[in-house]
Amino acid sequence: MKQCLLILLVLLFAGCGKPKQQLHVFIWSEYLTPELIADFEQKFDCRVTVDLYETSESMLAKMAAGGASIYDIVVPSSRTLPILVRSGLLLPLRRENIPNLANVAPQFVNPPFDPGNRFGAPFSWDTAGLYLRKSKGKLVEETWGLVFDASKQPGPFLLSDDVRACVGAALRYKGHSLNSTNLEELIEARDLIIGAKKRSLGFEGHTAAKNRVLARGATMAMTYVDIRGVKEDPDTYYFVPCEGNGMSVDVLSIPAQAPHRDLAEKFINYLLDAKVGARLADSLGTATANQAALEFINPDDRNNPAIYPPPEVMQRLEFARDLGDQNKLYDELWTQIKSK
Amino acid sequence: MKRPSLPLWINAVVLYVFLYAPIAVVVTYSLNSARRGGPWRGFTTEWYGRLLHSPDKLSALRNTLILAVASTAVSTVLGTMLGYGLSRYAFPAKRFFAWLMYIPVVIPDIVAAVAMLMFFALLRNLTGLFELGLPTMIIAHITFQTPFIGIIVRSRLTDLDPAMEEAAHDLGADPWQTFRHVTLPLMMPGVLAGAALAFTLSIDDFVVSFFTAGPGSTTLPILIYSSVKRGITPDINALSTLIVLASILGTLTVTLLRRRQ
Amino acid sequence: MTDRGKVQFGERLTLRQEWRRSLLTSGPGIAWVTLFLLLPLLGIVAISFASRGTYGDVQWKFTLENFRRFLGFGAFGFDPLYPKIIARSLAMAAATTMLCILAALPLTLFISRLPGRFKQLGLMLLVIPFWTNMLIRTYAWQIIFSSTGWLARSAAHLGWIAPGDALYPSSFAVFVVLTCDFLPVLALPLYASVEKIDWSIAEAASDLGADRWRVFWHALLPQIKPGLIAGSILVYIAATGQFAIPDLMGGAKTVLIGNAIQQQFGFSRDWPFGSAIACLAMGIVLIGLWLFARSAGEEGRKTIL
Repeated sequence: MKQCLLILLVLLFAGCGKPKQQLHVFIWSEYLTPELIADFEQKFDCRVTVDLYETSESMLAKMAAGGASIYDIVVPSSRTLPILVRSGLLLPLRRENIPNLANVAPQFVNPPFDPGNRFGAPFSWDTAGLYLRKSKGKLVEETWGLVFDASKQPGPFLLSDDVRACVGAALRYKGHSLNSTNLEELIEARDLIIGAKKRSLGFEGHTAAKNRVLARGATMAMTYVDIRGVKEDPDTYYFVPCEGNGMSVDVLSIPAQAPHRDLAEKFINYLLDAKVGARLADSLGTATANQAALEFINPDDRNNPAIYPPPEVMQRLEFARDLGDQNKLYDELWTQIKSK
Repeated sequence: MKRPSLPLWINAVVLYVFLYAPIAVVVTYSLNSARRGGPWRGFTTEWYGRLLHSPDKLSALRNTLILAVASTAVSTVLGTMLGYGLSRYAFPAKRFFAWLMYIPVVIPDIVAAVAMLMFFALLRNLTGLFELGLPTMIIAHITFQTPFIGIIVRSRLTDLDPAMEEAAHDLGADPWQTFRHVTLPLMMPGVLAGAALAFTLSIDDFVVSFFTAGPGSTTLPILIYSSVKRGITPDINALSTLIVLASILGTLTVTLLRRRQ
Repeated sequence: MTDRGKVQFGERLTLRQEWRRSLLTSGPGIAWVTLFLLLPLLGIVAISFASRGTYGDVQWKFTLENFRRFLGFGAFGFDPLYPKIIARSLAMAAATTMLCILAALPLTLFISRLPGRFKQLGLMLLVIPFWTNMLIRTYAWQIIFSSTGWLARSAAHLGWIAPGDALYPSSFAVFVVLTCDFLPVLALPLYASVEKIDWSIAEAASDLGADRWRVFWHALLPQIKPGLIAGSILVYIAATGQFAIPDLMGGAKTVLIGNAIQQQFGFSRDWPFGSAIACLAMGIVLIGLWLFARSAGEEGRKTIL
């Protein structure tokens, strides 16, 4: 009996080591691979917990209602970062602790949505375009008319359930800015989309849409670039139509009451490392914002115009801005689009 | 007692087929070597192996079960008492309170989730407790499960024949004895039905769980919601298959072990 | 406080005793729900009178703008979208409830006639599919209804749909999946009543020459009313807020109450407006419930309220 107690005591105390430092990450699903997390845990002797979100808005809601004091790392986008900043929910990055910030590509070093990279470290970016299954012999005009012009429709297609991506496409098709707040332009866009909706298979989220094209449930889908689909099925391809659309940058940020700020900055520094950045980009299937990582990226990806568009396409890309009070217009528009 | 007639059998079989059709698909794809929901590409059990080596999925499963069992246990007690009390006893403004108890059934998930999230934030400011995590999730689940069970138990009690209980009283039993030995067994089917429903509500809840969760308390629905939006991973199908298999086997065992009634 | 008791189930209770019993039984449940949901809900009601700040935050400036917008006064002119959305949701919920009743009645009859120990099995088998995940089940339905699945191919063969089409997105797909998903919610409470049916009444009616329909309507239905009403209310109320399944099986081409509210708490980040929509929608359903309880007579009131 005494021996049992002794063994129990030993086991109890054997488990009690120095409690490890923790890092609470709040991030999009599938952004971090288990290997990456394990590697970081090993290098910095800590435990990483990862909580996931699927939409920017659920992230914002949780951040506003207490998330800023629970999490150490959060990953907003170019559209949502200014919202968090203005609500006072983020800590500025201390550059001296994140030397790898120097690795960020020049075009993202002083972006309009975060001057001086004060609050966010860009690490990946993507575009909103069209994902298509090639039909034999038929050449496809790379335009949004494929969606909005009934005569150019290549087959059953899916519209994007992302409001700004969808309305943005219609606005750009008509030559307007995708941040337009002009009532006539918006009504034009609305009617275009309602017309397309009737001919379409409906609205779908980006990854699900891509999967349906892969599974031959649809011929075309409005989606964000995700090169894994194209690699899986070379009969499909992605492009940004000639009229352009939006681009979005993902940044790493630290919430205002993060419990482990130093470790968080080490994590950001780790992800901005050239080789780690390349591994991230490979697993994400999107473009990296990390200049130094570019040389470690698979050359096929590096030269793929779908992931890294040439300059003339880059010119046609706009950042989607949060429109403050005018967001209401897009909300009403979207409700009308869906109701009619 | 008449056995079911042929039309009833046919109807029942058709309905069960409909209910289990999606399950059959899930099982099939858990054994399909294709990564995505495409055509059949060959038999494999690699997804089950992968599942056993995914600590995030296993811990999500653990959280989900703890949450469901704990919340169902408490809400069944609260809900049964509620259903019993509402069906038997009157008090001032009883109808009003009974009406209020329908709110957790009407309320859209997101509104309930946001309301509770803000409330927990307020409580945290006042007391320093109520950190987001499994406990807050359990509290939230109990809150929407209790009225469901209350409604079901109450309807079961409403048309119970009072003769049994009256007989018990006449024979000298005190109220507690009557309840334990007569009323409770009679209303058991309602209680069990309510508990089964509450368990289901908890296991399948996403919105409320997402908003009241803290670091490390991810549940299966939260994990699955994220993975599924990215394209269903086959190991999720494997996990679902195992859950269904375990439940069916468990139920079959209980059924066969019971003495013939 | 008089000591006039009333006799109930063989017991004589005074008013005081009755109130004490209520406190002990209903008290905890009501207190819990009130504390953790109803009080926070007051916050939501308050927010529906607040304004949306420029960056999506809630500003505590009293306004009736949210209710004006609900009625249809928007930036693009007058368009009573939201009342229509509510009507659409109520109609869809009604259809779902009807379909569930049609399916659940024979099913619960079937289970109640199984040999003793198989009854539990029959009920559990109803519930077990729902211990997988709703999203997974619904995506599985997409596969079942897809154009390459044999259901769609058979339908095309029979000429019901064009070849190469899938059975979704469509209203048919939406209602099949909704009915399947809400079936246990109706069947479980209904079963609790069906199990107690006194068949001698039905047999007597039959012996007296009533046809099957009259037997059902006059001998069986009154006996299962409590369970039927409880189940129907649960399904109806829960179904009014449904939007995930209509989106996934219907192509997200339409807006229901759930979508509208989700949109406000989601993309539009307009919590005041979302709260207003939610409060109005809930209010309409709850008032409908109150009216239904009153019209259902004494028995209905006993069951519902």
